[in-house]
Amino acid sequence: MATVLIYAEHKEGKVKKVTHELISEANRAGAESVVFVAGQGLDAVNKELGEMGAKRVIAAQGDAVKFYSNEAYGKLFVDAVKSTNPSVILIPATAQGKDLAPRIAALLGVGLASDCTKIQIDGEKLKATRPIYAGKAVADVEFVGPKPYMATVRPNALSVGAASPGASAAVTALSLDTGALKSTVKDVVRGATAKLDVTEANIVVSGGRAMKNSENFAILEKLSEVLPNSAVGASRAAVDAGYRPHSYQVGQTGKVVSPTLYIACGISGAIQHLAGMRTSKIIVAINKDPEAPIFQVADYGIVGDLFEVVPLLTEEFKKALG
Amino acid sequence: MAISSLVFLAVVLGATGLFAYKASILFRLAKATKGPVWSGNRMDRLAERVETFFTNVLFQKAVLKKKKAGLMHVAIFWGFMIITIETMELFAYELFPGFSLSFIGESAYATLRLIQELFTLLVLSGVGYAFYRRLVLRPEGLGKSTDAIIILSLTSGLMLALLAMRSFHILAEPNDNNAVMFASMWISGIWQSLGVTPEVASTMAAGFRWFHHLLVLGFMVYIPSSKHLHVLTAAPNTFFRKLETPKGMRKVNLEAEDATSFGAGKISDLSWKDTLDLYACTECGRCQDACPAWNTQKPLSPKALVHDLKDSLYENKLALLSGKTDEVKPILGSKITDDVIWACTSCRACESACPVFIEQTDKIYEIRRNMVLMESRFPAELQTVFKNIENNFSPWAMSPDERDKWTEGLEVRTMAQIAASGEQVEYLFWVGCAGSFDDRSKKVSKALVSILKKSGIKFAILGKEEKCTGDPARRAGNEYLAQTLIQENVNVLNNYGVKKVVTACPHCFNALKNEWKDFGIELEVIHHTQLIAELIRSGKIKPTKAVDEKVTYHDSCYIGRWNNEYNAPRTILASVPQLKVNEIEQNKSNGMCCGAGGSRMWMEEHIGTRINVKRTEQLLEAKAGVVAANCPFCITMLTDGIKTKELTDKVRVMDVAEIVDQATV
Repeated sequence: MATVLIYAEHKEGKVKKVTHELISEANRAGAESVVFVAGQGLDAVNKELGEMGAKRVIAAQGDAVKFYSNEAYGKLFVDAVKSTNPSVILIPATAQGKDLAPRIAALLGVGLASDCTKIQIDGEKLKATRPIYAGKAVADVEFVGPKPYMATVRPNALSVGAASPGASAAVTALSLDTGALKSTVKDVVRGATAKLDVTEANIVVSGGRAMKNSENFAILEKLSEVLPNSAVGASRAAVDAGYRPHSYQVGQTGKVVSPTLYIACGISGAIQHLAGMRTSKIIVAINKDPEAPIFQVADYGIVGDLFEVVPLLTEEFKKALG
Repeated sequence: MAISSLVFLAVVLGATGLFAYKASILFRLAKATKGPVWSGNRMDRLAERVETFFTNVLFQKAVLKKKKAGLMHVAIFWGFMIITIETMELFAYELFPGFSLSFIGESAYATLRLIQELFTLLVLSGVGYAFYRRLVLRPEGLGKSTDAIIILSLTSGLMLALLAMRSFHILAEPNDNNAVMFASMWISGIWQSLGVTPEVASTMAAGFRWFHHLLVLGFMVYIPSSKHLHVLTAAPNTFFRKLETPKGMRKVNLEAEDATSFGAGKISDLSWKDTLDLYACTECGRCQDACPAWNTQKPLSPKALVHDLKDSLYENKLALLSGKTDEVKPILGSKITDDVIWACTSCRACESACPVFIEQTDKIYEIRRNMVLMESRFPAELQTVFKNIENNFSPWAMSPDERDKWTEGLEVRTMAQIAASGEQVEYLFWVGCAGSFDDRSKKVSKALVSILKKSGIKFAILGKEEKCTGDPARRAGNEYLAQTLIQENVNVLNNYGVKKVVTACPHCFNALKNEWKDFGIELEVIHHTQLIAELIRSGKIKPTKAVDEKVTYHDSCYIGRWNNEYNAPRTILASVPQLKVNEIEQNKSNGMCCGAGGSRMWMEEHIGTRINVKRTEQLLEAKAGVVAANCPFCITMLTDGIKTKELTDKVRVMDVAEIVDQATV
């Protein structure tokens, strides 16, 4: 039976969903799913991995791997490859995975299909489908040359299998020779905003120049508090006027967002702004001016004063979402 | 030969030798800057070059663009030209005692004397004003300069030495013809009243003559290491100037197999003409005064840039002269920073103001090229623009499929349809990305279509086949990406055999008109304001409906300073019934940029105050309800400025085409 080695990504004791997707895929293909995991306090993580269907877990624990580091994790992963001799390696195409996978591929001297949306494990072989030309076309790639075959896979691209509560995986410990490392991560300092970044949020509530001042953004904050997984953004005009820091700016020169729901409050919808949010799934625009270009791209438009509309929306969402 | 003559000869030879040594270093440095000569051929069209030499060097036309300082310069410049005759005469006198130009005839000589006397006083008054300007008025652009004070002191010293010499000479050797030197005559009266004897006067005259000799020679030796070097370099720089205003960016040969670097990363990447530019700068500060970046507290000053490039040239003297270009240090450093280079809006106000025709913008854009092509070093916002142009063929991430969506319901035909039907059109309407995708600019596109239809002119668009001209990438240094887009567009245009193009975007206009000929297409490109002006002139459209508004006109840089078109939009506005035009002071070639040029449209403005707000404030001085513009980016920037000033209900920004569309039936 072919062995598939999977990189597990976890945060604060929780395994990320994409890891589950990769395990399920390996199991569906009838391969032996071996999961590599590194970090500190991994007991809960190991248990969760077992329930997700992992057959074996190779865990590297300790202070030296407390924080993710490309060098240390890469070295450990290569050790895991040597001990398990897998035919396929799967790594999530997340920020961490995208950072780690090329290093591992280089260390092993093997090929890598990055950012795949579909994979097919067939015995010891691997076929992968990956978007090219910014998503305008897809390429099917097959591996030749030395094994293992590596791919990074986009989150949400594969389906997760049912979890099996109580199941557990055999855990093997892996230790790291810290002496050989050229760098260690001492601490990870979070950005000043502990809140959700606009690019990560599922729902974005944005304000424009019509907010008039920074204090008024409080009404958008209130709306955002009610909506799960949401963040507050701003148009360039609002940022220029000093209502919000630049890190909140949505648009051509700011952040490009594509949330499920985008609520534009008092934003006229200049092309510079549209360029940053027009791919949002549902756009709701609130503006006094019925001629505002934002209504051209909006799925739902509310012509009215945002200072009246937004508090009403907040109240209604509160009721609806309990 | 008398001993004094021999001593003099030795001094002259010594000083000349020293001068020649210093000058030869400058010459060799200029020869050592062997980068790609983007300045093009500078020895063609000799007749025009001689003409510009006469008008701008001898007759000081460009210098006189600034009235007071210009007149001051003319006085000193012409004074020196005239007085050099006397200087030469005195040199000859020192070598061959008794020599005099009096052999040209008594009255001619007297006239020469009178003219020299007059110009001595003119130079003195010029220098007096220069002192007053530097020490009392202290205009910001001049800055503090010890160099300038030394030069002014030397100049006034020379004139005073001449007056003193003449006045003592008059006393030592009285002669009726001396009366023409009225000022010297008057001074000699003072000496006489003080009881100076002719013998003493004779010694004093000789003393001041020698003093003058030494000052002249000292000045000569000082010049090559001072900003006063312009007395030697301004004339050749004017002669070798770019003769016409419109220009495009140099096409980089990206295929060159021997190229190890693109753009200007080091001073040695520049050309001899650029080095001459650096030598020609006399730090008058006109460029800095005109610069929108400097005037909104950005770190860019064109004057400082030229000065700092000159420093870089001198700092790398040894490496350059020994041909070790590997050892030449990068241009970017503590003085010329990334922020300096990215602050430029490419408005060319600096070049337009420069009295000695320095080409500042070319250097900035070659430096950008090096940063982007060699080091991938550019503001983060540009990454998005590059990506969008690459994937979507527009700086905004708009779908190329929707490029012609604005034409829905307008019955605008595409070149493909025209070609299929076997018909011909007169014009290709190049819509541009803004005109295709930006809701505000789409209205301008529609207004132009409406005007073209009223006039009966046959036109078509490229529709989905049109792509960004690559200009935003080119001005941002990404020559590679720009060339890809240009070539694709050129192929499409050639395929349809397009000859005449009209466009409402000045940036597209300049690219198509002045740059695409390097890519294998010759086009007759006309800006929509030029076409509309022509349609009105020929009576094809008639603005008959009154537009009861007060309007002020904002010149876009790429139609104005880049292509010298100031009249077409103004004649259009003048032809609209009841429309009143209030011009502001900062118009035409003195107009200020909106802040969006040079790819600044796509970058954040983190430093200083906003250019668009400053420009809006100038335009609001006209107290007009409408600001007329001719560029989609100007319209965006000025509309934003008006929003910032919270005057949206009082002032609107309109394209000239929209006004005309309103005024015609």
